[in-house]
Amino acid sequence: MISRTKAAYAYIVARTKVMKSRLLKAEDFRKLLNMSFDEIIRFLEETEYRKEIDEVGYKYSGPRLLDYALASNLARTYRKILQVSFGEAKDLIREYLKRWDIWNIINIIRGKNAGVQPEIIEETLVPAGEFGEEYLKSLIVKEVEEIVKEMEGTAYYEALSKIGSAPMNVVEDEMYKAYYRRIVEMPAREFETKLFVNFIKMEIDIRNIKTILRLKIEGSSTEEILERIIPGGYELTEDEARKLAAMSFEEITKSLEGYWFWREVESITEELSEVEVNFDKAWISAIAKRASNYPLSVLPVLQYMVLKKVEVDNLRILGWGKYYGLPNEEIEKQMVIL
Amino acid sequence: MVDALISDEAFIKGCAAVGAGLAVGLAGIGAGAGESGIGAAAVGAIAEDRGFLGLGLLFTVIPETIVIFGLVISFILMFAYG
Repeated sequence: MISRTKAAYAYIVARTKVMKSRLLKAEDFRKLLNMSFDEIIRFLEETEYRKEIDEVGYKYSGPRLLDYALASNLARTYRKILQVSFGEAKDLIREYLKRWDIWNIINIIRGKNAGVQPEIIEETLVPAGEFGEEYLKSLIVKEVEEIVKEMEGTAYYEALSKIGSAPMNVVEDEMYKAYYRRIVEMPAREFETKLFVNFIKMEIDIRNIKTILRLKIEGSSTEEILERIIPGGYELTEDEARKLAAMSFEEITKSLEGYWFWREVESITEELSEVEVNFDKAWISAIAKRASNYPLSVLPVLQYMVLKKVEVDNLRILGWGKYYGLPNEEIEKQMVIL
Repeated sequence: MVDALISDEAFIKGCAAVGAGLAVGLAGIGAGAGESGIGAAAVGAIAEDRGFLGLGLLFTVIPETIVIFGLVISFILMFAYG
């Protein structure tokens, strides 16, 4: 039985390791930074994104083509990982991917509220979670109230029922809180599940510290920050997050010494992009270490999934930046290049 | 009891045969346990990239050497006492 579990992890980890070797390297991004938008698309046609670009190349052009190709490639990659995994690994990956349900539902509702055409909403979807592509498409044609009703019985209903009485960002936060709560409260009997739960807790730490610093820079009040804190962090517990939220930016940076993520970040200025990028880098290097410490677990798979998301985000920033003629230094500052 | 039924020579021969069987059998089980993980990883890598076929096969059969040791021991037993 033990070897069966290990064999299941060995299979999926080996597959994702090969997939990871095909991700774009830092040199590729440096090369891409010196290319024009059209050259970037041509470059991507020689990579993993070829299928998606070919699929919609006749229909779209410009950053819309890139956006669609990136979103559908990400969804295809994630679905593939879920399909080829089995046993406990599959259950954990499925749990992890449920975050895309929130992304999709929020995008649909935001699009509906803003009166966006259904085809454009459809392009933003990443059907990698529990809700399939067809189901999501069926939601797009429904009214917001009907969508909320449809979600009755799911973990997100409580948050979604606040639509109308609370702003959308609050509803979104509540949905993410419900998602994280379910994982953090998972009965972690197996060692692999424990590793997964800790991974998610560390992610909560990063999300919380980024939220605190971002809102501090924006000048939000302590109450506003507290509302957005996700409970269940790894080292940064809810109480500690509350304490930090009441401090000034300088005090926060001093108080962060000793936290696992601060060892990677070390110092930070009051610039939003720096906060985002530096903490993302800290997160990526922390999971790289944990994944190499536990090679036969779900961690290397999650590491790949995070890196894939980072790659897609980088390409999106690069594409849009190039399309609108932003200077290279500005684009590079926004990207997470490792 | 044994003395009464079979000779010493036959007893030793029998024990050697059981030993030879155990040497190959247990080595086979060990190699199989070792290969399960390596084989799964090799199949995973090959499924993503056919270029790993040679390397995957090579790594998968490495634990087989244990079976060869078992086989050698069994041959020694069989030739010495069989």
